[in-house]
Amino acid sequence: METEEQSRNRFQIELEFVQCLANPNYLNFLAQRGFLREKPFVNYLKYLLYWKEPEYAKFLKYPHCLHMLELLQYEHFRKELVNGQCAKFIDEQQVLHWQHYSRKRMRLQQALAEQQQLQQQQPSTHSNAASK
Amino acid sequence: MAASDKSTKERLLSVLDDLEVLARELIEMLALSRSQKLPQPGEDTQVLELLVQRDKEFQELMQVAVEQGRVHQEMQTLEKEVEKRDSDIQQLQKQLKEAEHILATAVYQAKEKLKSIDKARKGSISSEEIIKYAHRISASNAVCAPLNWVQGDPRRPYPTDVEMRSGMLGHMSNLSTNGVNGHLPGDALAAGRLPDVLTPQYPWQSSDVSMGMLPPHHGNDFGLEPPGHNKENEDDVEAMSTDSSSSSSDSD
Repeated sequence: METEEQSRNRFQIELEFVQCLANPNYLNFLAQRGFLREKPFVNYLKYLLYWKEPEYAKFLKYPHCLHMLELLQYEHFRKELVNGQCAKFIDEQQVLHWQHYSRKRMRLQQALAEQQQLQQQQPSTHSNAASK
Repeated sequence: MAASDKSTKERLLSVLDDLEVLARELIEMLALSRSQKLPQPGEDTQVLELLVQRDKEFQELMQVAVEQGRVHQEMQTLEKEVEKRDSDIQQLQKQLKEAEHILATAVYQAKEKLKSIDKARKGSISSEEIIKYAHRISASNAVCAPLNWVQGDPRRPYPTDVEMRSGMLGHMSNLSTNGVNGHLPGDALAAGRLPDVLTPQYPWQSSDVSMGMLPPHHGNDFGLEPPGHNKENEDDVEAMSTDSSSSSSDSD
């Protein structure tokens, strides 16, 4: 039986560890050292699924880790992570996805700027037409 | 009426035959008696008596026939009645079946609705909490890249090695091998490069916010097949986590 202090420490540790899973390079590291093949580790990953519950999830700073955790439940994914190319690909896609909203915002801003430009041009033509 | 093996029709016909024969005999006798004297004295009375008898039988049989006809007609009306009632019952049966089907569908849909209501209620979270959480994960650029991000910016949507090493995990120097890109928590500390005081505390460790929160209980045995979900083996994890007195055993 662990004490409350130990429990709290374990909470902290598990919080940090589960969020580390969001890092595909770390996952690649774990895979290359064979951790992902060990049954106790796989069972531990299954145990960590409790972080999906709302009362625990609210402490996560990096929510990408939950998706990675779900994927890690599949043996195929764990096997693929040994490959460095795979980890690199995941990293790239993750960062691109991360930039999705800022890209969208930039596009909207551009569109707005263009629209304002058009509007500025229009009043000048209107005034010309009125004066005639 | 006694059960007879002959039908009424047959009996009527046989009586008619008898009458025909007797009538013929009588006429023959009358014809003979014209030409010669009565050969047999009592025979004509005999024939006449038989004739009368047969006629009576004939009349009786006709009565029987009439009665039978009446009964038969009654039977037919009753049969018609029975048929009508049968079709009524079948109609009711059809309607009942339809009603049952409609009710079953309605009940099923109502149950589904109740299930979804339950589900929604279970998952209900206060909007304030959601907004707070959304704010937390967005403000730290964990889910959305900062607007001034360019290639070469070290920030990432996951904890980087520096951040990993600065947490509780990082402070346990159990694993002595070097990681890829130095992503191994603990090695920097083991090498003595980052003194404790200078390690920055990143908010993703949230030690202050999570005070009082405890992880789910589990038996210390992650190596065994878990019967339920919480009794799992933690052999591997122990090498990396809580117990500060654990030796730096490599779990490979």
